[in-house]
Amino acid sequence: MSKIETNASRRKFLKQVAAGATTATAASIIPSRAFSANKQLTVGMNIPMTGDLAPWGLPGYYGCEIIARNINAAGGVTIGGETYDINIATYDHGYETDKAVQGMKKLVLEDDAKMVMMLGGATVAAVLPWATRRKVLTTTLLPSDITPDSNYLVATCESHPLYNVTGVEWLARNYPDAKTAVIVTNNDVEYGLQSTATYQAAFEVAGIEVVDTNLHGFDVTDFAPIVSSVLDKDPDIFCMATSFYVTPIMEQLYHQGFDGKIISCTLDFYHEIIAKTSVDFVNGTIFQFPDFDDPALADVNFPDPGGFDAAFRADHPNDWSAVAWEYPVILLNWIENAQAAGSVESEAVTAQMTGSEQNFVFGGGSWWGSQLWGLDNVLVGKWPVVVVEDGRARIQEYGDLAAWLDANNDVLIKHMKALGLRTV
Amino acid sequence: MRIRTVFFLSLLYAALIVLPHFLKYHQQDFLIFLTINILVVVSYRLVTLTGEWSLIHAVMMGVGAYTSALISKNFDISFWITLPLAGVMAGLVALLLSYPLFRMTQFYFLIGSFAAGEAIRLTWIQFIKPFGGTGGTSAIPSPELMNIDFLEPIPYFYLVLIVVSICVYLLYRIENSRIGLTLHAVHWKGVLAESVGVNTWNYRTLAFVIGSLFVGIAGALKVHYIGTVAPKQFDIGFMVFILIWVIVGGYRTFYGAIIGAVVLSILDEILRGVEQLRPAIYGATLIFFILYLPGGLESLPQKIRQKFRANRESAT
Repeated sequence: MSKIETNASRRKFLKQVAAGATTATAASIIPSRAFSANKQLTVGMNIPMTGDLAPWGLPGYYGCEIIARNINAAGGVTIGGETYDINIATYDHGYETDKAVQGMKKLVLEDDAKMVMMLGGATVAAVLPWATRRKVLTTTLLPSDITPDSNYLVATCESHPLYNVTGVEWLARNYPDAKTAVIVTNNDVEYGLQSTATYQAAFEVAGIEVVDTNLHGFDVTDFAPIVSSVLDKDPDIFCMATSFYVTPIMEQLYHQGFDGKIISCTLDFYHEIIAKTSVDFVNGTIFQFPDFDDPALADVNFPDPGGFDAAFRADHPNDWSAVAWEYPVILLNWIENAQAAGSVESEAVTAQMTGSEQNFVFGGGSWWGSQLWGLDNVLVGKWPVVVVEDGRARIQEYGDLAAWLDANNDVLIKHMKALGLRTV
Repeated sequence: MRIRTVFFLSLLYAALIVLPHFLKYHQQDFLIFLTINILVVVSYRLVTLTGEWSLIHAVMMGVGAYTSALISKNFDISFWITLPLAGVMAGLVALLLSYPLFRMTQFYFLIGSFAAGEAIRLTWIQFIKPFGGTGGTSAIPSPELMNIDFLEPIPYFYLVLIVVSICVYLLYRIENSRIGLTLHAVHWKGVLAESVGVNTWNYRTLAFVIGSLFVGIAGALKVHYIGTVAPKQFDIGFMVFILIWVIVGGYRTFYGAIIGAVVLSILDEILRGVEQLRPAIYGATLIFFILYLPGGLESLPQKIRQKFRANRESAT
């Protein structure tokens, strides 16, 4: 299928899903599959739905349920001449490796899931030997899970933590007087250290000096001494590199009177942070994950972002997090590729995905990763830079991640190696 | 061994040999982990025989797991060699730790063992080389033997069944030997045991080292199947599960802890359909057992017998 044809069918599909949203809203109390003669097409989610990491799993499932509901209400999805209803099968591994292994096998062999979405980290490493051997298309939000031989593992939405460079680029351009930064985050390999190396590289490229880096353990209960020790360096910028403790750190910054720029990978549940500090304090904070009612999302490759945002918040008012739209993006990307491949089978869809140009959700889209992890299975494209304005997250611009990586991947690799992280 | 026991064990093993063939694929994995967990609780029971409840058993499992994983991966040494090495290393670490830990008893020992365990776990987190930090180490090779595919669950289950059976049998023999009787004496009549020349320190150390040795083997069995080892697998959360299995199952008999592990693991799996309510239902079940069956599940048959006897007597 040519790129023009692919684009045309993609636009048609996205419109169809958006139209389905209207129908689905009206009939949301009736399961659309109940009256459908379509075949079932099962997609798996092997994610944490309970435990500490549930906020990075469960909202994604809620989001996918909305998308599946919309697709099914619009009459299903046609792949290879067959029309299917989408069924989302889940397995809660609670971020336990043994449960993740069980979950993968249950989803694939018992639920007949054609693709399995995962959060990433040790749970992905645990399922990889079996999933690779069985050629099960698996997705992760952490590209650092990719290894030279993980041919069926792709990161088609979140390229954590690479996109953080776009926030630093924007900050450097808009606040040229900010010349020093401190980084505070948890010392885990999957999130904290990967993100720290990325921010260090981005600051170096932007000509900003990192004057202190505090990598703390997960056992910290009082952030006052950590925050005060780094603020002693009088930084212009306070950076939280994928911290699990954004809220207590922001509280400390507020109480200790920090008035510089704050940049963070995530700012999940930022309304709670505002409630604990103030709108004025949180305003101006830079991060990377938009709300989906943002007007700047009008032209992205996602069906009716505003409607999706409204449906999500109506169903689950307090559960929106960064992953709420990420798993749906992965699901939609997979459907588009399955349609282009004319098959739902992993081998065909994977070949279609990695062998063709992709339309990333925020624009652009190219495969990257071999320089760092040995395989070009990370889809990178434009990524939003989000700033809190009047208490709302608002997109400022779409940074060009692919261009930054092309120009500066050696700096990134240098910082990854310095922190002892795996590189090829 | 009594004929009734031989008959029961024969039936049990016959059932275990055919069982995986009737299970779904992911349930076969569940059976593997459950069998490994039986070794975990039985080895923990040996440590508790002296009256000392530690919070380091899960970490000792990790010591064995990391030992086997790192040696087999980095030095290309066979699983069949690293498996016993895992136990030896866990035993040696336990021996080393016994010097400071057994200066404490009771509650202080409990807290001390937790602190020592956390120190080991933080070592795995802080030293990315060689342990891999929080992400741990992956691509751990599976066992190799005569072209048997140990990545598949049924062959691996049989391997686990053999190893765990041998280990559980050895632990049973230890508990029912003169050493085991002495361990009981150290718990229930410590001062009396000392007065007749029993070195209670040595026996507490012995129980701790042997228990750690066997749980180290359990750790190696687990990670060579999953293919990855990470600190979170051996955190305080898993230790709490071990405690719960032993408490709910009962710790007065050898089989009490096994019943606890089996029943609660199956309950946890049954509740998988109601993800959001699972922790609440699991917790409520625990509270129920503690309130109404404080002797653990092992005391249930006796309670039922007593109830029947009382009813019969009141009827006559």
